[in-house]
Amino acid sequence: MKELSELIFNENLRYTEEHEWVTGNGATLKVGISDYAQDQLGDIVFVELPEVGATFGKGDQFGTLESVKAVSEIYLPVGGEIVAVNEALGDAPELINQDPYGNWIVEIKPADASELTQLLTVDAYRQLLRG
Amino acid sequence: MEDAKKTVLHDWHVEQGANMALFGNYDMPLWYKTGAKAEHLAVICAAGIFDTSHMAAVAVQGAGARALLQLCLSKDLQTCIGKEKTALVDGRCVYGIFLAEDGTVIDDAILYQLRPESFMVVVNAGMGGIIAAHLKKHTASRDVDIHDLTDKVGKMDIQGPLAALILGKILTHASSVFQGLPYFSFKGSFDRFGTDSAVTLVDGTPVLVSRTGYTGEFGFELFVAIDHLLPLWSRLLDAGRDQGLLACGLAARDSLRAGAVLPLSHQDIGAWPFLHNPWQFALSWNEGMTSFIKNFIGGPALLQSRWNKYTLPFAGFDPRKINAGEGSFVTRESGERLGTILTCTTDMAIGRVDGAIVSVTGNKDFQAKGLCCGFVLLDKHCAPGEKVVLTDGKRKIIVEIRADVRPNRTARRPMDKMLG
Repeated sequence: MKELSELIFNENLRYTEEHEWVTGNGATLKVGISDYAQDQLGDIVFVELPEVGATFGKGDQFGTLESVKAVSEIYLPVGGEIVAVNEALGDAPELINQDPYGNWIVEIKPADASELTQLLTVDAYRQLLRG
Repeated sequence: MEDAKKTVLHDWHVEQGANMALFGNYDMPLWYKTGAKAEHLAVICAAGIFDTSHMAAVAVQGAGARALLQLCLSKDLQTCIGKEKTALVDGRCVYGIFLAEDGTVIDDAILYQLRPESFMVVVNAGMGGIIAAHLKKHTASRDVDIHDLTDKVGKMDIQGPLAALILGKILTHASSVFQGLPYFSFKGSFDRFGTDSAVTLVDGTPVLVSRTGYTGEFGFELFVAIDHLLPLWSRLLDAGRDQGLLACGLAARDSLRAGAVLPLSHQDIGAWPFLHNPWQFALSWNEGMTSFIKNFIGGPALLQSRWNKYTLPFAGFDPRKINAGEGSFVTRESGERLGTILTCTTDMAIGRVDGAIVSVTGNKDFQAKGLCCGFVLLDKHCAPGEKVVLTDGKRKIIVEIRADVRPNRTARRPMDKMLG
């Protein structure tokens, strides 16, 4: 297990208490999981992705990550419509382990972009992990 | 976590950055930085080592030891060895179940005959005291000494096709040790326990080498005095470094044993009658499976049992799983409820080709994506090939009831083929 000092954080992202990250300009947002989340899950062996065009509310489950350990639900940090899914994860789910910030999971068109500002800053997220 | 017990390798696990979790009240590694997938594949393609010193051992010695074990273990000690069905002798071991009088499972075990009046029973973590008490309860007037050796035995496993080549590097006279060491036999000794044959590491440490394991793959369980476990572990890691040997955690152990259709005690077998499951070979059935060929604790209850549930192995069609546990269940495709999920994990060394399960073993270029597999406990019997649905109430996955899961397993391969 990575120590806090070993975890990678990306200063430019917003985070959730469920260990997802969000980035974007407001028109569309990309969503992935944090280095802490991938380290806790262990090897990811399958990613269940939603249909493009599906809409979800903030906090809704939109997919699952299968690790060797368990099946984990992933929740949408900001409500909206799925405009793209990262197809590369179908063949290579381990990309999330290798580079959790380089490999987004879904791209959404937010229903209310202001929800983005309610998410955790990197400092707040670091504080959350510090406990 | 304050109460969690630690094995003598605990500090090593933590220093290596292992993801740790509680198992059988021990703080154990789930996987190391290499990850569970690489660890699982190392055991299929090269070799892996496992800290199994959380498991307990019980010494059973004396003139009445064999008779007591014959009464308490499910397997018939007079006919348990090989196709010829010969008796358990020095240097051989056997898998069996300790049943309660009502036919439910207390624990599964490997029984080692060290000498005619000296046996070692290896059971699961935390079970040493319980099995020792169970044996004492049934001792009656027999002349038997029973000692719970929990936390006093240094035990680790090396598993995988290169296990003998790697272990051989650190054994004195390795080729003679490996000669005449079939599946479920052992040589050597440790502490006060062992056979008359001497096996030592190159530094002189006495070791008991057993051709057993719990992955379905070729390999050994190794027993040394507890103080010698860390040096043995480190020496093996060094010896196998260039051959792909990895330290493996409990996640890989779990996925390997599930693919090999081996039960996890207190999960796949437990507080229900030991019937209608893939492990009836552990009982002493007669040929027609109408009665037992010996009297043993729990046997009469099994013969009279009206248990009408079935423990069956399954495999999926991709790596997707449903978490076993409360809220998860099994249905027919029509939706009819069938039962519960006991184990659901992913064997990372297998995949499907035109519907058939293919393993990385024997198919070097096969890119396995992994298949979910495990055991279900159903109210009705389903034949191999039948499809059932696993669900957590939200997600559903279709899996197939199987007679077996991971093909081409190496556990029983002749030693000379593995040294070649």
